[in-house]
Amino acid sequence: MSTHTDEPTTEPIAAGPNDDYSVPADDETVVCEYCGAPFSDEAFRALHWGLEHESELTDDQREAAQDAFEDENQALRLFQLKALGVLVVLYFGLMMAYLLVT
Amino acid sequence: MSDDPPSPWSLSIRSSRSLLQYMFARLPVLAVALVLFVGPATAHGGSLGANARETIAVPTWLFLLTGGSAVGASFLLASFVTDRRLIRDIHGWYRARPFPARRVARLAGHLLGVAGLLVVLVLGYLGPSEALANPAILVVWVGWWAGFTATTYLVGNTWPVLNPWRTVSSLLPSADRAYPESLGAWPSVVGLLALVWLEVVSPLADEPRLLVGVVVGYTAFTLAGALVFGPDRWFGSVDPVARVFRYYGRVAPVKWDETADRLRLRLPGTGLSETRLVDGFDEVAFVVAIVWVTTYDGLVATPLWTGFARSAVDLGVPPMVLYPVAMIAGYLVFLAAYWLAAGYSRRMADSYRSQAYLARRFAPSLLAIAAGYHLAHYLGYFLSLLPAAITVLASPFTAPATVPVAQLPGWFGGLNMAFVLLGHLLAIWVAHATAFEVFPGRLQAIRSQYSFTLVMVLYTMTSLWIVSQPSVQPPFL
Repeated sequence: MSTHTDEPTTEPIAAGPNDDYSVPADDETVVCEYCGAPFSDEAFRALHWGLEHESELTDDQREAAQDAFEDENQALRLFQLKALGVLVVLYFGLMMAYLLVT
Repeated sequence: MSDDPPSPWSLSIRSSRSLLQYMFARLPVLAVALVLFVGPATAHGGSLGANARETIAVPTWLFLLTGGSAVGASFLLASFVTDRRLIRDIHGWYRARPFPARRVARLAGHLLGVAGLLVVLVLGYLGPSEALANPAILVVWVGWWAGFTATTYLVGNTWPVLNPWRTVSSLLPSADRAYPESLGAWPSVVGLLALVWLEVVSPLADEPRLLVGVVVGYTAFTLAGALVFGPDRWFGSVDPVARVFRYYGRVAPVKWDETADRLRLRLPGTGLSETRLVDGFDEVAFVVAIVWVTTYDGLVATPLWTGFARSAVDLGVPPMVLYPVAMIAGYLVFLAAYWLAAGYSRRMADSYRSQAYLARRFAPSLLAIAAGYHLAHYLGYFLSLLPAAITVLASPFTAPATVPVAQLPGWFGGLNMAFVLLGHLLAIWVAHATAFEVFPGRLQAIRSQYSFTLVMVLYTMTSLWIVSQPSVQPPFL
């Protein structure tokens, strides 16, 4: 337990007359206890913790945020590899198309 | 939420490498855009002056495919920029400077605006009746709609100072009646669609007397509205012209910071990722309307539209019904496509952010597209008719023997293609940066852009197709 207090530093997001969020009634949601923002997944909440409430987190939450960030690095790298593949295909595909028609 | 300082682990360890990645990512895109599209093809010049759009050396399908691919590829390249601090640094960069002689400049702006309006009203009526020799036609279409509009997104929005109706109405008393809040921006959506419909179906750019009539009508309506609701409310909510320039001004690098009393310089387009730029669905609808009206303007001048209009009229549709119906139907298609994209974005990102919220947050990125499309449409038009405007303003009452019109070089058409593409590339980047503000996950942010990117790819191809078509006079007008 470090700097966490019961006073949330940001306005409760989900409360109030706005339509920034819409949660399907039968979904199981994970809610951020600092600001009330709902998430579909523990990992999204952990990433949100790290981004928005970094100074208030408990040690466990801090660790969860770190882990979620590192897990995401892996997934991101895989995505970027695929993106690179598509870019190469796109580049050579267009090049060949130009060679064929001109 | 987005104003919190970045947390330590949101900063990539490889900050410097990411910068390289970023530079690397953007350069090829520009190169592709410039190398592939510096071919022949000129822009649609509106209904006045140049109406030749040259044919393209490569087949249309390949040309469109390349344009669509450039936008899709820039989305993929943007996915390599995942460092939140870098994105924030780019979007948060600014320089502030005090504005010298502000009061004098403001007064000069007021006077210039009012003088411009008087020129249009008086010389439009008393000047020569040939379109190209009449000062009002040239001031409104070349000076104002082509030239001034371009400055609002390339430099900054000076319309609140220049706007002659605002200057005049602020000197008049106001009833300050409460504006019905539930109307929001909807009157300006209707107003914008109506103005562009009028511009398309009537010879507003060819008949000075008609133009003067419309300006008089607009003046009476606008002053009456400002008298009833007060100038701030009228030009802030209802007037479509002021709203167009305000929205375009968000693309621009220069902004007047009222609270700090300073001019702020930022990178072009970075103002579009700010929160609360677009507050409700009515404002989303206005942004989509800006994008749609430029498309509509070009679409009705294509041979495809001519063919379609002829067969529709053969089937018994009155031409005066055809044009407004096509305008509203096309607008609803655009609005629906954008709304659907926001819904799919929510689904792809597995987020509880509402469809309405995502539609609001990502709408400003479309303004970069509209700006690029406007520049592609009107820069050549402006440059070729600028000598005419200068000559005619020097002798406003008599038609000169010859009106000089500049001949633009052939490569200028390629430049127009590049403007269309650059607008889309800027929009992809702005949407990417916005997604990183909205979603906690980086991959989630990238996935949220699938549907928006698809819409943008389709829209790029449509815009490039219109710009590549020969420009013909819309039928039945």
